[in-house]
Amino acid sequence: MKNVIEWIKNEWNSYSKNMRIALAVLFGLVALFGIFAIQILFWGLGYTDMNNNFAMGIWIIGDLGLVALGGGAFFTGFFLYILRVDKLEPLINSTVLLGFMCYLFTFILLVFDIGQPLRAWFGYSYPNWGPGLMPQSMLTEVVWCLTFYFLVLCVELIPIPLKHKIVDKIPFFHYFGHYLHKLMWIMAAVGTFLSFFHQGSLGGGMWGVLYAKPGWFRPHYFFLAIVAATAGGTSFMMLIPKIAGRIMKKEVAPKESFMTLARISGVMFVFYLIFRGYDLYSLFNTYAPLADRSYADILGGYYGWWVVIGELLLCLVPIVIFNVKKLREQEKLHFAGLVSGVAAISLSKVEAVLHGFSVPNFSWKGFTAYNPTVQEWFIFLGSLACMTLIYMAFARFFPLFPHLEKGGHGEGEATA
Amino acid sequence: MSGHVAPKKKVSDMKRLWGMAIDLDKCTGCGACQVACSQENNMPIFDDDSDLPKRVVFLDLMKVTNDNDRDAKFGDVKVAYLPKMCMQCAGNDPDDPQPPCVSVCPVVATDVGDDGVVSQIWSRCIGCRYCQASCPYEARVFNWWKPRYEGSFKEGLNPDVSIASRGTVVKCTFCSHIWKRERDRLIAKGVTDINAVQYTPACVAACPTGAMVFGDLKDPQSPVYEEKLKRDPRAVRLVHSIDALRDTNPAEYERRTKIKNYPNPKVWYLTSDQWLREKLSGFKKS
Ligand code: SF4
Ligand code: SF4
Ligand code: SF4
Repeated sequence: MKNVIEWIKNEWNSYSKNMRIALAVLFGLVALFGIFAIQILFWGLGYTDMNNNFAMGIWIIGDLGLVALGGGAFFTGFFLYILRVDKLEPLINSTVLLGFMCYLFTFILLVFDIGQPLRAWFGYSYPNWGPGLMPQSMLTEVVWCLTFYFLVLCVELIPIPLKHKIVDKIPFFHYFGHYLHKLMWIMAAVGTFLSFFHQGSLGGGMWGVLYAKPGWFRPHYFFLAIVAATAGGTSFMMLIPKIAGRIMKKEVAPKESFMTLARISGVMFVFYLIFRGYDLYSLFNTYAPLADRSYADILGGYYGWWVVIGELLLCLVPIVIFNVKKLREQEKLHFAGLVSGVAAISLSKVEAVLHGFSVPNFSWKGFTAYNPTVQEWFIFLGSLACMTLIYMAFARFFPLFPHLEKGGHGEGEATA
Repeated sequence: MSGHVAPKKKVSDMKRLWGMAIDLDKCTGCGACQVACSQENNMPIFDDDSDLPKRVVFLDLMKVTNDNDRDAKFGDVKVAYLPKMCMQCAGNDPDDPQPPCVSVCPVVATDVGDDGVVSQIWSRCIGCRYCQASCPYEARVFNWWKPRYEGSFKEGLNPDVSIASRGTVVKCTFCSHIWKRERDRLIAKGVTDINAVQYTPACVAACPTGAMVFGDLKDPQSPVYEEKLKRDPRAVRLVHSIDALRDTNPAEYERRTKIKNYPNPKVWYLTSDQWLREKLSGFKKS
């Protein structure tokens, strides 16, 4: 016990002042997360600003965002293991960890969001499969697909801690990790297949099938969400290591890894923008008129036009920067592209949830608004803080960035 | 992906298709239907029931005004009250009903019966509220707080309707427990034909002006015979403007119902006010 306290003390003292402030804020958020989690789980969702009209809120936005951005893991894995783009190798550990955490916290946020968390297992025991092979409910598909993909990510993640110097010395773990690694391409293939489905179903299909709601209904929304995940997810998988690198003041991965992924992301953003353009066109010309409504009217309210225009403008930034060699190689512009790309996809999720709910259902009602309560904010921010801390811990204690080890200035050794 | 499965015809002895018609020309907005429904279906009472968006009621008495709400001349301000409950949507094909809210439920807590009533099993629901998102009539309510019944309210609880837990979605089921009660009564008398069972939901029974009527949409003798309602110039269904095309442009009507599902509600409203019919049926486009 004494040793542990001593170790924590030493660890704490080894950080710079700024780092200690950041850590204190993060731990503070996690503590508040814990307090409000108890309140929500024991006393119910009455403490949120959600209501019968605005049935979902910030947590679902978080889920959609995390799954889309975490989906970058499947896409990067697909390029590395299936298409054999070896330049992505230095980024893959971080990518797998990010994917794992995004999915883990999607589950955690979902547990808060459903009114009866103790019945969450009903999703497995009474799934709404319908008469065919495919699940009838998009949420059934989300639950099953997320579960399987999460298991795949676990298998992908295990080799990283096994590579820790001490663990690696034990022959069993060494070989176990080694053989798991050999399985990786199968995992990547299975993961790509699974992720493809729940990207589509949670991000878009879930909303697109709501045929009586003209703010959402469009059959192709499923596919749009997949493209969104490939574009935004790949940017996210660069953004986080970039930030980590800035904080650690080290080059966490070779530049060409970033450039390769940036090129992929840039191309996907072009696809996304074209698809989103078609999406808006079809909403104006086909789907809203089918419900005898005008999409221009539907796009009113607090989360209408400005969100859509903001999203489109933000999309343009990575498109221009990532597709022009000269621009993407400039550190600052590259970073701006990443931030804009991630923001664009996040904004599209805000639009999907908030705007969809705010659209009036009756002609005598107006647009509604939603203003998350402290409970909602802190559970949301606390989740992000947990993720940040886990990522930091991995960066500190495990070989998250093999490039650093190669360079001979790995962080792991110092404390091992 | 879900996708639509090939229509399957259900084989069932049940020939009834329950529906309702509400005559807004007769409705005085007294709210007796809402009170009766809340009592019949064990609606909880909260300290602060002024928090309307979180309130738990199956039947919502909505206030509808024409757009001359303020500053208008006397007589130009029109107000109507609208008893609104679950519309028991059928989707395009009543023989293979696809209500907007049923296919979305991840745990089959809601289903549609062979009498067209959309059921909801409180104890199966995990409270994901996906069905609330899918319902175009805001007919589903969530128990944001633990349902409470103070003092003597407990003694008035209806033993035929189960009490919901906190965190589950509940909704109007056309008082299907009353149907079951009537069925049991008939069986006790030796009548075993389920189509002989007739019943009246609590809201309809409570209406003092007889504005609400209930019955079999397919029965020509019933007050809600659908073919008659379709031809009634006073009849309108909520936010269902596709109805207007049925007579004016049948070809377009057919085309649209082939490419998209419509809720196709089983509750009809009757009014001789043109402004109200327009308001109820859909949106004015700017
Ligand atoms: S009104 Fe809403 S809850 Fe009722 S059947 Fe239609 S979609 Fe379902
Ligand atoms: S809230 Fe309940 S009834 Fe509605 S979709 Fe979720 S589990 Fe089904
Ligand atoms: S039919 Fe029954 S449950 Fe539905 S609104 Fe009327 S009284 Fe309430």
